[in-house]
Amino acid sequence: MEKIMSDATSAVNVGSESVKTQNQIAMSLKDVAVSFNGKVAVRDATFDVTKNKVTSLIGPSGSGKTTLLRGLNRLHDLTPGAKVTGQILLEGTDIYRGDITVTELRTRVGMVFQRPNPFPTMSIYDNVVSGLRFNGIKKKSILDEVAEKSLRDAALWESVESRLKVSAGNLSGGEQQRLCIARALALDPEVLLMDEPTSALDPIATLRIEELMVTLKERVTIIIVTHNMQQAARISDDCAFLLMGEDRAGELIEFDATEKIFNNPKDSRTLDYTLGRFG
Amino acid sequence: MSTSTSKIASQREELAEINSASSSRGWYQWLLIGVSVLFAVVSISFVGSIIIYSIPAWAHPGTLLTGKGWQSPTGPFGGFAMIIGTFETSLIALVVAGIVGLGTSLSIVFLVPGKFRNIIATLVELLAAIPSIVYGLWGFLVLAPWMLKTFDPFVNKFPFASTIFGSPGQQFGPSLMLASIVLSVMILPTFVAISREVISAVPSEIIEASYSLGATRWQVIKDVVLPTAKIGLFGATFLALARATGETVAVALVAGGVANAQFHLLYPGTSIAAWIATQFGEAQGTEVSALMALGVLLMLINFSLSLISRSLVNRQRKVLARV
Repeated sequence: MEKIMSDATSAVNVGSESVKTQNQIAMSLKDVAVSFNGKVAVRDATFDVTKNKVTSLIGPSGSGKTTLLRGLNRLHDLTPGAKVTGQILLEGTDIYRGDITVTELRTRVGMVFQRPNPFPTMSIYDNVVSGLRFNGIKKKSILDEVAEKSLRDAALWESVESRLKVSAGNLSGGEQQRLCIARALALDPEVLLMDEPTSALDPIATLRIEELMVTLKERVTIIIVTHNMQQAARISDDCAFLLMGEDRAGELIEFDATEKIFNNPKDSRTLDYTLGRFG
Repeated sequence: MSTSTSKIASQREELAEINSASSSRGWYQWLLIGVSVLFAVVSISFVGSIIIYSIPAWAHPGTLLTGKGWQSPTGPFGGFAMIIGTFETSLIALVVAGIVGLGTSLSIVFLVPGKFRNIIATLVELLAAIPSIVYGLWGFLVLAPWMLKTFDPFVNKFPFASTIFGSPGQQFGPSLMLASIVLSVMILPTFVAISREVISAVPSEIIEASYSLGATRWQVIKDVVLPTAKIGLFGATFLALARATGETVAVALVAGGVANAQFHLLYPGTSIAAWIATQFGEAQGTEVSALMALGVLLMLINFSLSLISRSLVNRQRKVLARV
């Protein structure tokens, strides 16, 4: 019964695929490869990230998931010797060669990291509005408003409302990660990159972040790296499966609706991985 | 069940044996204990004897700390000029070295590409390997004439220059200002070594977080790195200050060696350490104990600065442990 249901859903997905228009795509990757000092770390990434959906990048360690993700907000610019080739379009603009500055890109494509990383010397409030301040917004009324809205969106407002001036270091791990989500949301990004955002959290905190992602996708497109397959199956709509090739470079094996990746993948390696035969 | 109990019992016996073995100490343990006791005795008697020698001078603590004249060999022996000279030269050196050093550390960590990073870092560290006397000679032979010819006429053009630097007619190559400049170069490596370490210890996670929020490199440095490293940078400051207050030979050569209780930077002066070094040879009786007393004072100053520095660096570790 469940199988039939999921088949039906994926059929719908395939159907919607064909009529997907340009303005339903948030980010589009074409032949994206990342190399460090000439050594390829990940390649062949070609897929479209649909707006207001959760797209997950899955695969075993070393398959280049995080490396690929960090190419999407040009974080590799900070690493000497890193090179990103191919084409990454954000709303049709090439983020490496197009008419967009790297700081503007990063306000439009936010990021949440593996370990919660609030600024240790800043209060909860200052953490949330830090992105706005970096971008020149100083007016207190705007900062206050955005801080409350972002913390509400990150489901953190109730528990921190009375202690906004307290150091962010005093929060629990799960709260810190939601603070980091709020901090990213404060810039009202179109896309939110999440790099294994729950890997450092306990199961309950993980569950809360997952629930949050499902609500958040109504306002922001989410791309999440995870090596937790259940998580990818639970929360993502589309799924990219990456694997390390023979030359130790990660490559995209398959991209499809999550239902298809888990129930009826085209490539046998995808099936082996999702069934837990390796990785 | 019974086998597992007996197994535990035998393990207990083994443990007890190990414990008794360690309580009967071998000869090498006695040797180590002996050496540490010797070390403690030497340190205590060292500090103790200096204090005992200095006792006669403490009969007039007011003269020693605030007295303005030093009348060899009969007294009174006033230490005000030396104390003021020490603070003036060290603080000016610290300001100069702090600004230059912070810029250097930030450049090494954030701006300079990998290849040159090590070259600059090594060059700065090499400054620490130059003997004090060489700094002193350089200051006396190279910098002092330059000060007289170029620096003094330049600063004298500013209004109120004479309140800070003294009247042009009495300015002299070797001076407190010259000592400060030489000191600033000497403490630069200390400051850069510690501040660079503190700055590099700021976790890359929070640096990446700030870039990912659209911060520019300057904003990352100003709003994230410096506030996070702040306490450790103060630690570096106090350590550099301790180094400056204790510096002797170079200051003795370039400060002018005059017990002149004044604040004018281009007049000759002296510091506690330099004064002890230059006066000790000919001192007798009470003058020896007055010099010893100044030594005790310098020791206390350095000791507290080092303690403060260490506690600040520890606090910085705690800040980073929260990340």
